Amino acid sequence: MPVSKEYIVKRVALLILVVFGVLIITFVITRLIPAHPELLWAGPHATMEQIEKARKELHLNDPIYVQLYYYLLNFVRGDWGVSWRTRSPVLHDVLSALPATLELVIAAFVIAVVIGIPLGVYAALRRDRLADHIIRILTVLGASVPVFWLALIVQLVFGSWLHILPAAKRVDEILVLRTGFHPITGFYLLDALIEGNIPVFLDVLRHMILPATVLSLYPMSLCARMTRALMVEVLNEQYIRAARAWGLPGKLVTFKYALKNAIAPVIASLGLSFGYTIIGAFMVELIFVWPGIGFYAAMSLLSFDYPAIVGVIVIVAIFYSVINMIVDIVHAIIDPRVRL
Amino acid sequence: MSSPSELRIMFRMIRRNPVSMLGLIIVVTFVVVGLIAPYILTRPEEAWGIAYNVKDRFLPPSLQHPFGTDEYGRDMFNRVLLGTRFSLMIAVGVVGLALLIGIPVGLVAGYVGGKVGTALMRITDMFLAFPPLLLAIALAATLGRGLTNTIVALAISWWPWYARLIFVQVNSIKSLPYVDAARVMGLGSLTIMFKHILPNALTPITVQAALDMGSAILEAAGLSFLGVGVPPPTPEWGLLVSMGWQSINRAWWISFFPGLAIVITVLGFNLLADAVREAMDPRLRKALIMKGV
Repeated sequence: MPVSKEYIVKRVALLILVVFGVLIITFVITRLIPAHPELLWAGPHATMEQIEKARKELHLNDPIYVQLYYYLLNFVRGDWGVSWRTRSPVLHDVLSALPATLELVIAAFVIAVVIGIPLGVYAALRRDRLADHIIRILTVLGASVPVFWLALIVQLVFGSWLHILPAAKRVDEILVLRTGFHPITGFYLLDALIEGNIPVFLDVLRHMILPATVLSLYPMSLCARMTRALMVEVLNEQYIRAARAWGLPGKLVTFKYALKNAIAPVIASLGLSFGYTIIGAFMVELIFVWPGIGFYAAMSLLSFDYPAIVGVIVIVAIFYSVINMIVDIVHAIIDPRVRL
Repeated sequence: MSSPSELRIMFRMIRRNPVSMLGLIIVVTFVVVGLIAPYILTRPEEAWGIAYNVKDRFLPPSLQHPFGTDEYGRDMFNRVLLGTRFSLMIAVGVVGLALLIGIPVGLVAGYVGGKVGTALMRITDMFLAFPPLLLAIALAATLGRGLTNTIVALAISWWPWYARLIFVQVNSIKSLPYVDAARVMGLGSLTIMFKHILPNALTPITVQAALDMGSAILEAAGLSFLGVGVPPPTPEWGLLVSMGWQSINRAWWISFFPGLAIVITVLGFNLLADAVREAMDPRLRKALIMKGV
């Protein structure tokens, strides 16, 4: 059933409002709260001239509404300042790092869904029995583990001690040189497939296993818990009992009739956990030297590269809002009640 | 809404489930250790990070040093033990401050309603447009490292949830007859809000807030790990993990044990939260009350 145009228009309008709000809040945090924003902007080892230049760039000698005007204008024009760590424009840095992160996060979500949903269904079918209790503890544990700690431990055990999986970077650089691999989209798995470069494809996949698995733990736990809770509810419905009484096979009832009605809220909850996951990627990428936006953010934080920090925060917040919008619309398509 | 007798029912339900009970035990232990930690340290100078013991660097876990020693020869067990206090302070601070901001905003937005209420809730929504922790990272990077700054940064990204929760509660309470009665009697808005509505909206939010402390600990540790949280040599757990990172191939225990402390503590809070959520589910509670729990 198609979603009405009005709903989508309304949702997009809300997105624009939210992005505007995000920009206002970041303006307040980065320009109004600090006593000397130009010092933060120019970096810890800046000379007097650099600080003076930063003052001019930020229009700090003008009234606040003029500052806000230029802030919004520069944002729209794509002039997000220059990172003094990489010496290149922040927007360029951020956009070129985005594919690496997206690839990792998508992989994490695929793992989360492929394992999480069956786990939740199984727990619901075995409600209040041993398997259900074990799954409950595991999923609560999954939401309790600090992702950076797990990343360190996993890297140590599988990379340094057992030597079974690569513990850093996206791909083996020597292999890249030898096979002449040239990324086009920045999504290495896709690029390797387009070029028919199977060795690189497998190598990228191997590099991805550890960070993606670590990152998937939180959305997987959430997914399993949501699925279980909803399945428990749906399995108690009259129509499921009727289907059972009718003599339909258990699997058909579980997956076709019950799961279908539980899936929409699960998707919605995954959308929410995207926020946690992308922040988790900050730490996981730092530890696995994964050259994505999280690595860029973490390095910027550790070196107090303020323009870069602000750029990352704005882009991640916008991205998060867009994902939420998409999730809302998909949710509305699957579950018509939402539109009311 | 909730009364002491309902809390008693909740507690009885928790006691019947061993997994929930485990959560309760962990949380109680965490709070007690957090309160008494500074007085039970065997090596206080090392715990606070002001004493060095270079000849005992990188000692693996043993009877004498159950969690080993770090690159300065400091006993990790003492450091982790004292870290409990910092995690407790952060948890209580973040949640307390967030309640202090969130409750008045939600209360006014819910009771006054109209344009003021809508405006307040729109502002709240804008804060919620940031992924969790991102706003805190932005604030912490601006304010600089420090315990107070960490608490403030996290609380500012946290209060919107409480504002929303109170908003919903107040909206359902304000049309009850007793509130109308109070208004007819000529009581002021402030009196009605704080003396007659707030107490009835408070229990669910305090329970929620208490259980959120696990997430507060987790997020504070994340901030410290990213270098924008508590500064060294404070033995905050997240910072301890990050400090052990550079020598992890040589001495895994420096990062391992503080992280384990985070896992166990947050697990305790989350298990308890799970149990309480189940206990607060009215359908389930009704069934259990009928069974005579």
